[in-house]
Amino acid sequence: MSSKKIKNKEIRAASLLEKKSTRRNFLKGLSIAAAAGSAALTTGCIPAADAASTEELKLRWQEFFKKNYRLMTQEEKDATVARLERLSKLNANLDVQMGSYPPLDGVLYGYAFNITRCEGFMECVTACVKENNLDRKTNTQYIRIFEMEPGQLDPSTGDGQYYHEVPVDNKFYMGTQCFHCEKAPCTKACPTKATWKEPDGIVVVDYDWCIGCRYCQAACPYYGRRFNWGKPEIPKEEVTRRQHYLGNRIRPMGKMEKCTFCIQRTRKGRLPACVEACPTGARVFGNLLDPESEIRYVLKHKKVFRMKEELGTDPKFWYFID
Amino acid sequence: MTKLNYSCLFLLFFVGLSHSLGAASEKSIVDEIKNAEDRFDNRSVPLVEQVVDEAVLAKEEYQGGSFRVLARKAKIERYKCSSCHTDKPVTAQQGALLTHGDIILEHGSEDQGLSCIDCHHPQDRDYLEDKKGRKIDFDHSYQLCGQCHFRQKRDWLGGAHGKRVVNWAGERTVYNCTTCHNPHSPRFEKRFPATYSVELD
Ligand code: SF4
Ligand code: SF4
Repeated sequence: MSSKKIKNKEIRAASLLEKKSTRRNFLKGLSIAAAAGSAALTTGCIPAADAASTEELKLRWQEFFKKNYRLMTQEEKDATVARLERLSKLNANLDVQMGSYPPLDGVLYGYAFNITRCEGFMECVTACVKENNLDRKTNTQYIRIFEMEPGQLDPSTGDGQYYHEVPVDNKFYMGTQCFHCEKAPCTKACPTKATWKEPDGIVVVDYDWCIGCRYCQAACPYYGRRFNWGKPEIPKEEVTRRQHYLGNRIRPMGKMEKCTFCIQRTRKGRLPACVEACPTGARVFGNLLDPESEIRYVLKHKKVFRMKEELGTDPKFWYFID
Repeated sequence: MTKLNYSCLFLLFFVGLSHSLGAASEKSIVDEIKNAEDRFDNRSVPLVEQVVDEAVLAKEEYQGGSFRVLARKAKIERYKCSSCHTDKPVTAQQGALLTHGDIILEHGSEDQGLSCIDCHHPQDRDYLEDKKGRKIDFDHSYQLCGQCHFRQKRDWLGGAHGKRVVNWAGERTVYNCTTCHNPHSPRFEKRFPATYSVELD
């Protein structure tokens, strides 16, 4: 994809957002009437007056009136990231390093999963939970591994909740997560434009713009999206502190979450946590636009298929066999 | 009869038309990917994480040129082997302590398993030896493994078998065969999964 094309797309997206984004105007009007109450609204709970410092209240106030990520200038992105870092320090005494770094030029991410190699060890799942600060209380997981009967290729026929010694003879294992569809139906379903596809192909959610309606989840034909019913609970020493605004930062309550191809890692050249953790090498990740990348080798030389290809969602996640 | 033929033709025409229209509107990302032939400079990506494990330049090439593999020798506890395997006789007591009694050899077919010197150099114990009698360095065991597992080796060179270390960008460093597989019993052992999943809501 040329950078010019990407620019055009961004401009189009921006104008679309400006036009349709009535939520903001609505809230602005509302705010005059409910000035005092809205700071509490942002966190979903009313802080005791003495517990919340004036600094915290001010930060929350500013946070509440920020724009959709896609409409922010880099300065505005830096400002919100700084506020969120400070709030994390004030609320939980956590030092996080949050980023909002942009996509890399000439990069479109893709993923391939070797169903011959996966043995169902689920080390990818624990690595993902840790990396992405997922809620430990409800055992939220973005990845799901299905134990499958031979010959079956639809995970709904498999067992996604196995717990016994693996691999079981004569079964195979199939992993699912968000497939980062090029024609993602989930993004079209969102009434507030809180979820979209970035120029490097990653489908993201602006957690502060999401209203938790779950339309996108209903629109996803795969096993891509997870709704959080509460703010993630994580033991403090286990929090991954290197975060991205669109990635693994600790989400507020009542938001839609999903795999982001570990945006906080991959935009810095690093492999997603699941790929790094996989003990069998069943997971291949890389740049689809690089003819010399591993993922391109897989697409060119292996028997590949995508789940429910007939839907036309164009997932950037392929299964392959040895 | 002719009427029927005509209507058949008519039908065929329509089927063909709708099909080609459908195909035109459904341009897949796959085509875009296939057409992306420009070289991407992997080293232009600024990395935050470096490969810390020792790696050596591979003696073969992959599609993008040279690459590195994780070193093996540093991981072998009592390397160099020649520090024990000398001409000097070994006492029985030393032997019990130092032989490789902990090694379980489960490599090869069930009725015809491999023995030590199928892979190890019979004289120069600091090396491996392939079927052509070439000395093979432990760090480059893929040269040896690949003589039987040639399909895996081809995929490993290309990137469909094994994996890269730490980064998808930057200089390519990959796991060696022996980083993941115990060469004496290369199959992964059965075990309990690292976690379990709850129902989706
Ligand atoms: S897998 Fe689901 S959530 Fe992910 S991009 Fe596709 S439709 Fe959206
Ligand atoms: S849950 Fe959030 S991201 Fe999903 S459709 Fe509703 S507002 Fe959009």
